[in-house]
Order: sequence, then structure tokens, then C-alpha cells
Amino acid sequence: MLSISGLGKTYGNGVEALVDVSLEVPKGLFGLLGPNGAGKSTLMRTIATLQSPDRGQIWLDGFDALADTTRLRSTLGYLPQEFGAYPRTSPKVMLNHIAALKGIAGKSERRDMVEHLLAQTNLWDVRDKSIDTFSGGMKQRFGIAQALIGDPKLVIVDEPTAGLDPAERRRFHNLLARIGQDVVVILSTHIVEDVADLCPRMAIMANGRILLEGEPRALIGSLQGRLWSKLVPMAEVEAYRQALPVVSTRLVGGQVEVRVFAAQRPEADLQPAAATLEDVYFATLQKHGLSVEL
Amino acid sequence: MRSLLWEVCRFECRNQLRSPLFAALAATFFLLGFLITASEKVSVGGLGNNLNFNAPFAIVQIQYVLSMIGMLAAVAIVGLAATRDFDAKMAEILFASGVGERSWLLGRFIGGWLFATLAVLAGLLGTLVAAFMPWLDPNRVGAFAAEPYLFAVWGVLLPNLLVICALFFGVAVFTRSIVAAYVTALGFMVLYVVVSIAADQQHTRWLALADPFGISAFGDLTRYWTVFERNTQVPALEGALLYNRIIWIGAALLMLLATVLRFRFNLAPTTRGGAGGLVELLRIRLRRKTPMRTEAQPKSRQRLAVRSAVGWQADLARLRSQLRMDVRGIVRSVPFYVLLAFGLFNVAGGFYGSIAGLYGTPVLPVTDLMIRVVEGSFLFVVFIIIVYYSGELVHRERQLRVVDVLDATPYPSGIMVLAKVGALWFVITALLLVMLLTSILVQTLNGYHHYELGLYLAGLFAIGGFWFYLWCIPAVLIQVLAPGKFSGMLMFLLVFMGLQTLPSLGFEHNLYLFSAPQAPYSAMNGFGHFILPVTAFSLYWLCFAVLLLMVAHLLYPRGSDTGWRVRMSGARSRFVGELRWSATAAALVMASLGAWIFYNTNVLNDYQTKDDRELALADYEKRYQPLSLLPQPSVIDLDVKLEIYPEQRRLESRGSALLANDLDHAIDELHFTLAPHLSVLSFDVPGGELVEEDVRLGYYRYRLTEALRPGEQRTVSWDLAWRNPGFENAGSTTRVVANGTFVNNGEIAPMLGYDAFRALEDNSVRRKHGLPPVQRLPALGDPQWLDVAEFRVRRRTAFRAQIGTAADQIALAPGYLQREWTEGGRRYFAYEMDAPIWPFVSFTSARYAVARDQWNDVALEVYYHPQHGYNVDAMLRASKRSLDYFTREFSPYQYRQFRILEFPGYATFAQAFPNTIPYSEAIGFVADLRKPDRIDYVFYVTAHELAHQWWGHQVAGAYMQGSTMITETLAQYSALMVQEAEYGPEKMRRFLKFELDNYLKSRGGELIEELPLVRVEGQGYIHYRKGSLAMYALKDYVGEQAVNQALRSFLQRFAFVDGPYPTASDLVAEFRAVAGSEHQALITDLFEKIVLFDLKVTAAVVTPVADGFEVAISIDARKFEADGAGQEREVPLDYQLDVGIFPQQDRRAGESDLPQPLLLEKQRIVSGSQVLTFKVPAAPAQVGIDPYNKMIDRNPEDNLLRL
Repeated sequence: MLSISGLGKTYGNGVEALVDVSLEVPKGLFGLLGPNGAGKSTLMRTIATLQSPDRGQIWLDGFDALADTTRLRSTLGYLPQEFGAYPRTSPKVMLNHIAALKGIAGKSERRDMVEHLLAQTNLWDVRDKSIDTFSGGMKQRFGIAQALIGDPKLVIVDEPTAGLDPAERRRFHNLLARIGQDVVVILSTHIVEDVADLCPRMAIMANGRILLEGEPRALIGSLQGRLWSKLVPMAEVEAYRQALPVVSTRLVGGQVEVRVFAAQRPEADLQPAAATLEDVYFATLQKHGLSVEL
Repeated sequence: MRSLLWEVCRFECRNQLRSPLFAALAATFFLLGFLITASEKVSVGGLGNNLNFNAPFAIVQIQYVLSMIGMLAAVAIVGLAATRDFDAKMAEILFASGVGERSWLLGRFIGGWLFATLAVLAGLLGTLVAAFMPWLDPNRVGAFAAEPYLFAVWGVLLPNLLVICALFFGVAVFTRSIVAAYVTALGFMVLYVVVSIAADQQHTRWLALADPFGISAFGDLTRYWTVFERNTQVPALEGALLYNRIIWIGAALLMLLATVLRFRFNLAPTTRGGAGGLVELLRIRLRRKTPMRTEAQPKSRQRLAVRSAVGWQADLARLRSQLRMDVRGIVRSVPFYVLLAFGLFNVAGGFYGSIAGLYGTPVLPVTDLMIRVVEGSFLFVVFIIIVYYSGELVHRERQLRVVDVLDATPYPSGIMVLAKVGALWFVITALLLVMLLTSILVQTLNGYHHYELGLYLAGLFAIGGFWFYLWCIPAVLIQVLAPGKFSGMLMFLLVFMGLQTLPSLGFEHNLYLFSAPQAPYSAMNGFGHFILPVTAFSLYWLCFAVLLLMVAHLLYPRGSDTGWRVRMSGARSRFVGELRWSATAAALVMASLGAWIFYNTNVLNDYQTKDDRELALADYEKRYQPLSLLPQPSVIDLDVKLEIYPEQRRLESRGSALLANDLDHAIDELHFTLAPHLSVLSFDVPGGELVEEDVRLGYYRYRLTEALRPGEQRTVSWDLAWRNPGFENAGSTTRVVANGTFVNNGEIAPMLGYDAFRALEDNSVRRKHGLPPVQRLPALGDPQWLDVAEFRVRRRTAFRAQIGTAADQIALAPGYLQREWTEGGRRYFAYEMDAPIWPFVSFTSARYAVARDQWNDVALEVYYHPQHGYNVDAMLRASKRSLDYFTREFSPYQYRQFRILEFPGYATFAQAFPNTIPYSEAIGFVADLRKPDRIDYVFYVTAHELAHQWWGHQVAGAYMQGSTMITETLAQYSALMVQEAEYGPEKMRRFLKFELDNYLKSRGGELIEELPLVRVEGQGYIHYRKGSLAMYALKDYVGEQAVNQALRSFLQRFAFVDGPYPTASDLVAEFRAVAGSEHQALITDLFEKIVLFDLKVTAAVVTPVADGFEVAISIDARKFEADGAGQEREVPLDYQLDVGIFPQQDRRAGESDLPQPLLLEKQRIVSGSQVLTFKVPAAPAQVGIDPYNKMIDRNPEDNLLRL
């Protein structure tokens, strides 16, 4: 159980990256959804002890993680948003090195663990290839493999699916879902499907603040029956925006589907629509005055 | 396209102008130029203390050096200009934008080149400004002239920067990598250093053209420039210098052209050739093959319940793994192999080039020599390693973006710090090992098989290498503190340079300089007593380094926490427990060691800086020089009892001197000078009242209650101790040591009166201390000094000595051994000389092997270090040949014995005492005489020193100008004659060429005034080098028999006289007496003037005739007279000079040996051009005017013309 309270961070240039962030994260996958620049990475890096907050506290399973970073790091697995490797180095060598740094002292112990992780992340066949040559998906799988070294209690994955093709992303989701059975996994992403597919709990973040927290199903449920949609020609979209509380618009077969949030049907030709997590996301952003231009 | 070019160029300039890099570089160069000129503390080679601060030579020379350092500026600026667009990933956008390739490239280049040039130009500005600084000695600031600055700009700066910028720009453009440009720069520098070290004097002409900076051409041109010329002349852009510039500017333009033509806008490096290709190639080579693994994928799917371990085992595993990753990165990179190659070339080149020994004869590759070769230019490489790799290593994780992954793991920050230090140590160790192996290879190839591995390890790794290892720690700390690797490198440079500058500002204590005293090695004495202070200081600084490691551990930035507030508060919270205890312990040990060191260096010993020592000498001169004319008696009987305790570096000196008033008036005061290191236990001057006791400077003044009347005698006696307690900060004496003590009586006994030999010689130092310009010697013929001999005494003395030493050592002093006995576990020797000798004697004690031989009734003995038996036979042979010649040609040998004593190589000279010659282990004993075509300088040095038994001990000149012409020049002549008899005149040409080169080169370094031989003031380049040339020329013209006859006559008149002593004029008069009237002008030119010739063969026409060949030789000849500053004026020439015609060179002969001439005769040569015609029987291959270089000619090479 990870509990964060009152976390704040202001950068030297005056940007408020975190504003009074408080979260309770139970075991299992926790999705942190937000647009680019929302402060997700800052939060992830702060939890991963790579950045000190100005204010606030982080507790993990009853100990003060900010005071004892070494203890936190011992139980942490972290997949950064962007990361490199030593040049011309294979995943086997690299994992072995990270395992050593994590404190796994025994050579054979390390080897077993590395081999196990290579198998688990489907990297066995390329274990001696240079990481430099990896595709995006392979690299992310390597990233998750290194995060899993040493049986972490807390796993942080920062934007892991950006740039993956659908098949790779599917594989990656399966991997994450397996991990999420036992430990706290925080998944930060700007892709709604990631959260929708994987996470029993989630939060939406923007401008350094947590805007909404809850279970995706409940959140979707709260929109049910209040969402309406219609296909309109592109030229009329602007008029609808002016007239109605449009949550989102998207292209469907050359026309634009306009989705509107309202307690009652606002116009006769709008059809009731099934709510999705995406609608929750856009509605939340909109509620806080963050319009999303699509 | 032109306007586009202009746009790109302007854009580049704006970028550069804004870049802090340019500002930093320009400031650095300004400061460098300023400091080299205006501060005596910062200097470059070739600029003596006698040169004007703004001498044209200095301005140009400094600009050469700066433009070479400018290579680093160029690679940074131009490299950046070439790669910026690629690095910023702007290339796609740029290339798509329609800027032409050539415009882009040229614009970038011109901008970069301009700013690199401007940065280095700031250095010239610094030089210019510095010359106006008010603290400069106005006597050494010449009138302002613009020409040298202009030459520095267009002759040096612009072309040099063009060359290097074009090269690095090309590399950077094709490889798209600034690192590749750096590697090229590094390789370039390495190659440059190696080639200039390895190329010896034979290849200067070739080097003058090949040197891309033109420094060699400039050096060649100004090689023989005198002070006057250096102060006034700007080099003319002609000859080799001009060709060099043309060649390299052409090469630069070609390189640029190639870059422009081959460059295409695409996003991958375009070339397989050049440095980029090399990088690729090495990458491929170094890449490990992927092993074919057949083993199956592990099936186990269960979670591995492994938890992070804690404790030292985990940390050890972490350290090992991180170290492996860092070392892996290093051994897979090109610079590492560049460095190793440098190590290899450095040793090989250093050995074959700079350690050629005297007169081109190499020394044996003994281990300590190899260690010196390794260390010679080693500091420079290690410095590069530390600067470059500390930056690369510490910032590696950040640069590769693995930092987030690694920093989220629970490793203690110190592990990373230690791994980086360890990786640096790995590089240094690898380099040292390569050098060690190369050294052993060089030894093996030279047939030297006495491998001293222990000495290699001690010398390379422990004594020298320790500091290289230790320096890695502050370097890593600085990089940890620095925001980026370049700023870290700059910070490190500042710290390093700062520490190097401190000593020159009077801060010389190793307690704060991060250094230890020097530990010179001698084969006889090992590292001797230097081990203790080196160990003490090393441990002291090791503790400091441990503290630095802790600081680095505490302040190491994790993740993105690079802000200082976070790091400081983190450090504070982590500085607890074990760490705090360890830090306290390290600080305590350091403090205790420091206190103990301080007690040794500053309490037991007197801590003195260079300024302190200068001040003491200046004070001594100021206070006591005025008393120097006070009459003092002469020592006529000297009795010394010396107790040497070699292991304790201590000696006790007791003795007495019988003083006699040999003047015609009474003496009422006795003055003594005592070496300040001596403690006075008792000093007994009967009837003397101590009126002044200056312990600091060592001056004691006694007033005699009863004056010493003419003819009266009195005995003074003393009991002194030279203790050498503990250890010193620097300058520990090498005279009293565990094995190889070598002291003279001036160091262990009182000397009468004022010691004029202590005077400071450098006039600018003298001015600083308010002393008048130095007067080295009284004027030639000064009647006041005719009764005083060269050694500043009036009489010879009887001499006895008793020396006690360790039981396993032999102690020696001039005189014959009377008795040898053992007493109280110590060995005693009593010596006595049976005839009066000059009161200058030496005392030597060491563990010796002895070789004995006999020449007629003279016993020959060589006392040598048991491992140094190589050339002992050669010394004995030289002694016999010399005794043969000298006794036959000059006069009988006055002693029954002749001894050579080896002393440790802390100094490199041999010195002649009566029947005794202390001879340094560093010369002669380890010369490699196995190749017969070399000059046998062991033979030469031995003959020279033995000749001093005549020239010095039989006859000595009066204490005035020219006295060393009698001792040294005649010893040179004697040695030359014995050598010629032994090896033939052909070998002499080579020897004399060395003498000529040395003389001409040394003139430019003259501090005060060059003088003709007859008025020489102890200047080695005159009395040795020019002396050899003049005497050989004299012999050549008037004949060996006539010269020897003159010397015999000189000896008959002056040998063993008690004054008045002869002057050099008396010697010249003897030469004049034996020479015909036709040689009088020659004698004047050789001995009484500074005369130089410019002789050359301009053309030769060979016509086959009936029974041979007719050769018409066109000769250009001129003669000059120079003044003391080297200003020359042409004087008419009318001389009989050698003209020689030579056949085809015999292939087997040495390069500088001429074959037997077809014709060699003296012809009348006058100023100007002339054509002489000869007939020879065989085909000529070379013709020459003065082909054997008997005359002093500033261009000796053009005397010969190959047909």
C-alpha cells in the first residue's frame, strides 16, 4: 500500500509540477492518466526517488519512503519514460549489472534471476543481442524485465506503451496484468485504453493536480445515460460546440461524431451513447477548464 | 549561393559569439599569453631569462605554442560548428530547407575558423598587453614594434589555425562526431610529440617541412640565434619556413576542398575512410561475436523470491559489476588504444631519440634509465587520461540515459564514485604495463638482459604512479561536483594549474600542494632515504583522498536531484554513523601524519622556499662581499678527520688547518665561511675573538688579539657535524647518503674568507634583490689578482685525511692510502698526499668493487658499483692512452696513482681532484660502447679528467677572465688528441660537429655576455665547446707538434708555481711564439675575438679530362665578428681554408663520416664569390669548403655539395 499526501514541487522557472498531490494506491495496477505535461512523470520520478519533492510525504507499507530512500529503492522497480543502455551491451549483461546494483550478490542467483526474467519477458532469443538494435517493444519489455529484478513491492511504469504497435502493446498489457496480481503497480500514461484495459483503480491528473480518483467502472457508470452523440458534417462542428456542452469530437468515416454531456437529451436528433473511459477523461479535463481540441 | 553562404556564416558567428565556450577559450588564451609574457612563473621553452619580455623571438615563439594549444580550441569550436546540426537533431529539417550543401559547409567552416582564430588571437593580445605591465624589469622591455605581432598573426596564427581547423572540420563533418574529432586531435598531438622527440638532429630539415605547425622550421631557422638577434629580428618568411607554410596551407585547402566535394546532406556518416572509418573498423573488430547458445529457455515460471542483500558483500558485488561495465566501455573505445599506442611509442621513441647520450653515443638501457624515459613526457599523457576519462566516466550514465534506471536501485552513491576511480586506475595501470613491457622489449632488443622487475614496479607503480592514481580521486570528485563534463574538465584544469602555480608564488610545502618530495633514483643508492618522506606524504594525502571520496559519496547527484540545496541536505542527513566515524578517523590520521611531517620538515629541518634560498644568497653577498678584499692567510696544511655514518646520513668533521700569513702585511681579522647546514660543536681560533657569528648565512669573523704577522703561522681547529635529521620538504641533500657519499671540503669544513662562488648569476634575480649586475670574474690581466689562482686561493697545501665509515664501505680522499683498519665495527682509512695540492678535496664512501691495473709505475684503480662493470676496462684503457700521450707530449705525471670513483647519478659530471676522479654513475659507467662507430665518450671524459692532472693541478691560471681556457680548453684539447690518436681524424669530425652545434645553440642562452676564449668567464659552451673547435683549428694550421711544444713551454714556466699565476694571454703568447707569422691573424680570431664564418659551395662543374676529372668549385665566403650580445658585422676574409673533393660514399660508413678525400688542400679564400679549379683522378661525389667544419660556421651543412 502506497500512500502519498500533500506532495508539492515547484521548478526553478516557476512551473508548478505537483500541487498538493495525495493518493492512496492499493495492491494491483493503478492507472495515472493525464495529458502531456500534466506532471505525471514528475510524480513517477518523485516516487521512484529520483527527484525530491518540496513538500509532502510518501509512505510505503508503513515506512517513510522519503526519509529512507535506500529502503524504498530496495523494494522498487522503475521503468522510466525514456532510458538508454550502455552501448553494445546485451540485455543479459545489462540485467545482470542492474541485479548486482539492486544488491543481489550471488553470481548464480543473479544468473537464474536474469534468465527467468528474460524468459518471462520473451527476450530469451535475443538475450545476447545488443540493446541498441532493439525495437520499441523489445526495449520496453527489457525495461519491464529490469524493473522486476529483485522482486519489487512497488513497480512504477512511466508511459510504457507510447510508440508500440498494437500487437506489442497487447503483449505488454498481458505482462503488466500478470505483475499487477501481487504488487503495487503504478502505470502512468496518456493513452486511455491502457488504463481502461488494465487498471482496477485510476486517477486523472493535469496541471500538477489530481483531478479525479476512483475505479474506472464506477467512473464510467457515473456518466451512463448522460452522454449523447451525433454524426455531423465537419462544417457544423463549430456551431455545436458553441451551442452544446461538447465533451469530444472524433472522425468517423469522414463525418464528425460529436459527443455531448447533458442530463437530458439536448436536441432531438442526438442519440444516447454508451460512456467510455475516454468520455470520463475528457469530461474531467473539461470540468476543470481544460478544453481539449481534437 | 553566395548570399546563402553569407547567411549560414553569419548564423554560425552569432552562435559562436553567444557561446560561453568561445568566451571561456578567449579568456583562457588571453590569460596564457599574458602570463607567459608578464610572469616569470609561467614560461614556455626556449625563452631565457636574458631575453626581452617583448623580444620578437619571444612573441613569435609564444604564438607558436599558443597555436598548438589552440588545437583544442579549434576542435571544440569547429567540431561544434560541424556537428551542432546533427546533435540537435535539426539536420532533417535543415537539409530539407533548401540550403545548399556547400553554402552550409563553407559557412559553418568560415564561422568556426574565424572564431577559433579569434580565441587564439586573444593570446597574442595578452602578450601585447603584458609587455606594458609596470612590474616588468624596464631593462628587459624593448621598444614597441608592430612587425613581430603582425608576423605572429599572418605567419603563425592564421595558417596554423587554418590547417588544424580544416583537418578537424573534415573529420567532424564526415563522422558526425565531435568525439572522433577529439580522438583525431589527441592522435595528432601524440604523433606530433612522438615524432619531434624521435627525430634527432639528423632529420631537422625533413621535420622542418613536415611539421604542420611550422615550429620545427622556426626552430631550425633560429637555432643559432644570439640574444641580440632574438631581441631584434623577425624571422623572414623564406626557405624552409616559407615552403612549410605553402605545403601546409595547400594541404589545408585540399582537405577543405575534399570535405566540400565529398559531403552530401544525408543523415548517416558518409565515409569509410579517415577517422570515421577507423572508428567503424575498430568497432567491428571489437564487437564480441554473439555466442551461439543452444541451451533452452528456462521453463520455471515461479517467482524468484530473491531480495536485495545488504552489507559489504552486496556492495562488493555492486562495485565489481559497475567497474566491469565502465572498464568494458573503455576497452571498447578508440581513445584507449590511441593512449596505449602512445605509451609504446613514447618509450621506444624516447629511448631512441632523446636519450641518445653524449655525442650521439647511447647509454645502456638500464632499468632506471628506462623508468626515466617513461616518466619523461609521461605526466602529459596521464594528465590527458585523467582529464578526459574522469569527465567521460562520471557523466557516462547521464549521457547514455541509463541514470534513471541505475539511480532507482539501492546502490550507495560511493559505489559509483569508487567504480569511476577504479576505471581510471585501470587505464593508468594498462598504460604503465604497456610502457613496462615496451621497456623490457627495448632492453631485450638492445641485448640488455638484466631485468629488474622489482625496480620497475617500485619506480613506475609505487613512486611515480602513486600520484597518478591519487590524482584520479580529486578528478572524479570535481566531475561529481561539476554540472557537465566540460565544465568539470575546466574546473579540474584550474585546480591542477593552480596547484602547479603555487610553488612559483612561494608556496612550496607538500603539505598543501597535493604532492610529495621528489625521490630520485640511483643505481648505487636505490631510492635511498627518499623512501621515508615519500611514504609519509603519500599516506598523508591518501587520507585526504579518502576524505574526498566520502565527499563525493555524499554529494553524488542521484536522479534529477542535481540542485545544491537538495544535495547538501541529503549529504547532511547521510553523514552519520559509520561514515562519520570513518571520516573522523581519516581526518585524525591525516592530522597526526601532517603534524609529524611538519615536525620533520619545519622543526627538525629548516623549511625554505626558493625565494628564501635566493634571499640568503643575496644577503650573504650584500653583507660579506664588501669584506672580500680583506686580506686572509693561506691554508698550508690541512688535516681532516671525517666520521661518516652512511645509514644515518650523518657525518662528523673534525680537523685543523695551519694558516700562514704569506702576505707582506699583518692580518688582524680571520673570516670563515661555513656551509649553513653544519652545526658547530667547537671552533677554535687561538687568539681570536668571535666578533660576528652569522649562523644563518654561515659567516664567522674573528678579531685577533695579536695580529698575524707576515710569515707567522697559526692553527685553527674545528669539530662540526652535518646531521640531516628527519626529512625535508624538498631538496634533501644527495651528498651524504647510505651508499655513495660524495662531499668536498667546502661542505664539511670552514673556508677562509668570502665565498664568491655563492653569487647569484641571473641578473634579473639580482636586480630583484637590489644587487648590481654580476661580475663573474676580475678582468683579464688585473694585477691585483695575479697572485690568486683560479680556485681563489694563493697557495697549495699539505693534506692528510682520516675517514671512518660503515664496515662494508670503502672511503676515499685524495692522497695515498697510509693505513686501513677496523675499529668499533667501523672501517677507517688514512690518506696522505706527499706534495702540496690545491686546498680542494673530496671525500667519497660507498660499497665498491675495485678494478686495478698498472701503467708504468702508476697504479690505476677504478672504484665502481658492482653492477656497473660495463665500461671499467674502457676507462682503464683510456687512462693508459692518456698517460702515454700526456707524459710524452707535455710533462711527467706528478702522482703514483690514478683513481676513478663512481658516485651516485644525482649529478652528472666528473671532477678531477689530485690522483682522484669522482665520476657520476650516470655518465660513462652505463654508456653503450658496443657499437664501434659511436663516439667513445667514456674515453673522452676519462681523458679529459685525467688531463686536468696537468691543466689544473700542475698549472692553474690566475683568478680572472680566461682562467678556464687554461684548465678546461687545454683539457679538451688533450682529450681530443688522445682520441684522435686512438680513433683517427675521421671520427673527430663527428665529435667536432657536436661541439659546433652545442656552441652555436648555447650562445643564444647566454645570460650576460659572450666573450672570446681568452676572456672566458667560466662559460662552459665557450671553454669546452668553442675551446675544442679553436684548439683543433689551431692544431690543424700550426701542427700538433708546435702546439704541444707551446704547451710544454707553458708548463715549464708555470707548473707548480706559487704565483704569480699565468693568464690566458700567457698561453696565447706561447701559441704565437710557435706559430709562423702567417698564423697570427688566425690566433687572434680563434682566441681573442668572436669570429664566425659563412662558407658555402654554391655550385660545382665537373668536366672529364684525359686522366681524370676537372672540378670547378664556386665558393661563397664571408667572415663576421660578433660582440658580446651577438650583434655581427662583416669583416674582410683572407684565409687559407680546406677545400676537399670526395669520392662516392662507402655504404658501410656512418652518415656523418666523410670518405677518404680525393683531394684536400688549403686554399686562399677571400670574402665574396670565387671559383677554384682542381684536377682529380677519380669521379667526385661531393665537394666542400672547410668540409670538416674546423671553422665556426653557422650553416655548417652547406659547406658540402653533393654532385
